[in-house]
Amino acid sequence: MACEPNRVRLLCMLSLTFGFFIVEVVVSRITSSLSMLSDSFHMLSDVIALVVALVAVRFAEKTQATNKNTFGWIRAEVMGALVNAVFLTALCFTIVLEAIERFTEPHEIDSPEVVAGVGAAGLLINLLGLCLFHGHAGGGHGHSHGGHSHGSKNKRSKAGKSQKAGNGSSGEETNNLVGNHNSPGETRPRNEINCKDSAEVQMNGNTHFDEMDHEHDSSSQLNMRGVFLHVLGDALGSVIVVVNALVLIFVWQPCKAGEMCVNPCINTHTTDHKHTAGPCWVLYLDPTLCLIMVCILLYTTYPLLKESALILLQTVPKQINMHRVNERLLSLDGVLAIHELHIWQLAGSRIIATAHIKCHDPTSYMEVAKRIKDFFHDEGIHATTIQPEFVTFNSESRDSLCELSCRTQCAPKLCCGSADKPNADKKAGSDSKAAASALEVISETSEQAAAVQVRPRADAEVTVAREVESSL
Amino acid sequence: MLPLSIKDDEYKPAKFNLLVKLSGWFRSILADKTSRNLFFFLCLNLSFAFVELMYGIWSNSLGLISDSFHMFFDCTALLAGLAASVISRWRSNDSFSYGYVRAEVLAGFVNGLFLIFTAFFIFSEGVERALEPPDVHHERLLPVSVAGLLVNLVGIFVFQHGGHGHSHGEGGHGHSHSLFNGSLNHGHRHGHSHDGHGHGHEHSHGGHGHSHEEPHCHGKSLTQSIPICGHHKHNSDQQSDVCVLLHIIADTLGSIGVIISALLMQKYELMIADPICSMLIALLIGVSVVPLLKESIGILMQRTPPSLDQALPECYQRVQQLQGVYNLQEPHFWTLCTDVYIGTLKLLVAPDADTRWILSQTHNIFTQAGVRQLYVQIDTAAM
Repeated sequence: MACEPNRVRLLCMLSLTFGFFIVEVVVSRITSSLSMLSDSFHMLSDVIALVVALVAVRFAEKTQATNKNTFGWIRAEVMGALVNAVFLTALCFTIVLEAIERFTEPHEIDSPEVVAGVGAAGLLINLLGLCLFHGHAGGGHGHSHGGHSHGSKNKRSKAGKSQKAGNGSSGEETNNLVGNHNSPGETRPRNEINCKDSAEVQMNGNTHFDEMDHEHDSSSQLNMRGVFLHVLGDALGSVIVVVNALVLIFVWQPCKAGEMCVNPCINTHTTDHKHTAGPCWVLYLDPTLCLIMVCILLYTTYPLLKESALILLQTVPKQINMHRVNERLLSLDGVLAIHELHIWQLAGSRIIATAHIKCHDPTSYMEVAKRIKDFFHDEGIHATTIQPEFVTFNSESRDSLCELSCRTQCAPKLCCGSADKPNADKKAGSDSKAAASALEVISETSEQAAAVQVRPRADAEVTVAREVESSL
Repeated sequence: MLPLSIKDDEYKPAKFNLLVKLSGWFRSILADKTSRNLFFFLCLNLSFAFVELMYGIWSNSLGLISDSFHMFFDCTALLAGLAASVISRWRSNDSFSYGYVRAEVLAGFVNGLFLIFTAFFIFSEGVERALEPPDVHHERLLPVSVAGLLVNLVGIFVFQHGGHGHSHGEGGHGHSHSLFNGSLNHGHRHGHSHDGHGHGHEHSHGGHGHSHEEPHCHGKSLTQSIPICGHHKHNSDQQSDVCVLLHIIADTLGSIGVIISALLMQKYELMIADPICSMLIALLIGVSVVPLLKESIGILMQRTPPSLDQALPECYQRVQQLQGVYNLQEPHFWTLCTDVYIGTLKLLVAPDADTRWILSQTHNIFTQAGVRQLYVQIDTAAM
């Protein structure tokens, strides 16, 4: 199972790091070295990051839908990645603060040998962690699927083998994103499914998955990337500690006890005592290296932060081009117009799409629905909810306006919608507004009444422009 | 093939674009009351931080310098809230089909995380200080901490929900500002005291709070969806009063804690009081952030909106009683941002059912429950 190695790795690293934290605290008490204590707190923050990742993995295994979380807990991994990225950023800030303090007031370490030893041990543990997590987080599993391009190498959309199954017919479309949560009245036993079963259930009920270990691909990769970056930061920190201690041992000439000497780096006045403490640049090495490390960390953390934030912001996934999807949907037979098309990513490769599709009448709808589902399957989107709308015969070809959108008083309350302006072109008995159209791109290439389309589209666009502007 | 049109508005110089963008952002910020306040306090905070930094460099006091950096750290939280309030007003486009409204929820979440991190940091510093007590100059501590408490109380009355009192041992000046959380209307308070570094510089933050009025998402607040701590109009006034009282108590506890520790240090030379106070206050911050985090996590995890928890089963029943509907499957309801709910569901209907009627009835039912954007998929049962 794919989840198991993750968990095992995380637990292993967690126990190692926690043990090392205890060791560092003990050593710092023995040598009464404050810097070791603060370093041990860095280790503690590492432990916390691992715990967060572990919790996220644990939650994300519960992909069974519950009453409150109808999508299951899959998003937990994206959240875990975000939390780790934010913690890492905050940690970088505090390191910058400490480094600047050290610049203004450098002080030397008391017993550099002990520090070097402990630092080397920490480095070993962190290198081990890097090896553990690098293999999983760096490489990307998954396979491409004909017809669409991929964004980054970590986000491969899993199209599954639905092409073989072929018929995304609405009869089969108890398409389960998460488990079988059929009707809200029933109480389902919420047993934990292990990875294999959950994945099978999720992907259209198709069962022939050999690549099942890659099921938790992108979302868990995101999570593991967060952990990897944290461990990387720690490893760099240990490197700095070791380098600093070594330089201090070999280059620095401290004041020997009993002799009268001053440390010229700390006291600003010049002296001409015979014995002065060693070269001053040594004391400034530590903060400088810390600043460099912070730059490296921030540079590597930023993509992770951006990616997880974009998923949580309900962005259209990178590999999907809304314009093209719109066009191709409109080119399907029987589709007159599309409203409120929203495509967003739940986590990893689970993409969800919703739309209102306008078609002629209920009898032709089933065929159209089947084609639409197939189309979405081709794009790699398996959880779709398509609402049909039918042409009311007292409306002219105002295909651009949504029949079932909210009534007039809701318009100002639609999220990101337009202000409550009376619509210039009133549909007979219709309640819709260009509020719906403010939310998405409307393109109409319907064959019928092409000439008539030009005018309503221009009107729609004008009202869109006006209303969007007024909403700002 | 010759180009039919030349778009030269893409070739504007970058600087011009940047200025236009910046001025656009300013206008957007100043347009709305909340973000105006937020911006004002951000400027205030930044200016104080700069003043402190300059004074610290000039007088070569490490404590002041480090404290100014901590204030800068606080400013980032304010900045996040401000950025969120600007971003969430941008229009939707191809990549963001729902627009950017979720930015506020995300900013609230990130702010909560920063607060937890700050609490953790203060706690660790407290532990360090407890093990190795530095020399604390506590002569001016007591009046300063009392000033911090007063500032906090002023903040309560002025801003209704938020006040972040800030007082410093050396500078001896106090000021208050409130930290606005971009997504949540939370009266949210906690205090923390914060030690200086090895120079006996003692300063305390009393009453760090934030609140935010959410204009776009209907002006209602997220906390209205939480039955426990709401400023919900339908809730009894008692409940919200208790909750606000709790917030106020938590905040003043922080300030009082600092005062007590200052007293202990001055009268009884009990140096251990200070780190203990810091640790307690760090715990207080941590605990008070938890509801904030739970809310935003719920939204970000696409959880069913808490305020609909009772209404939804009723709606399901009503839909299932419609003529021709066999079954309701896969309902998914989630919150996009404050008070905007989106739902999808699938209906299994008889082949001869009146689809149009079912659709409009279903929409009506759920609109009454408060879900404005609904996607109903009709699957005809094979007969």
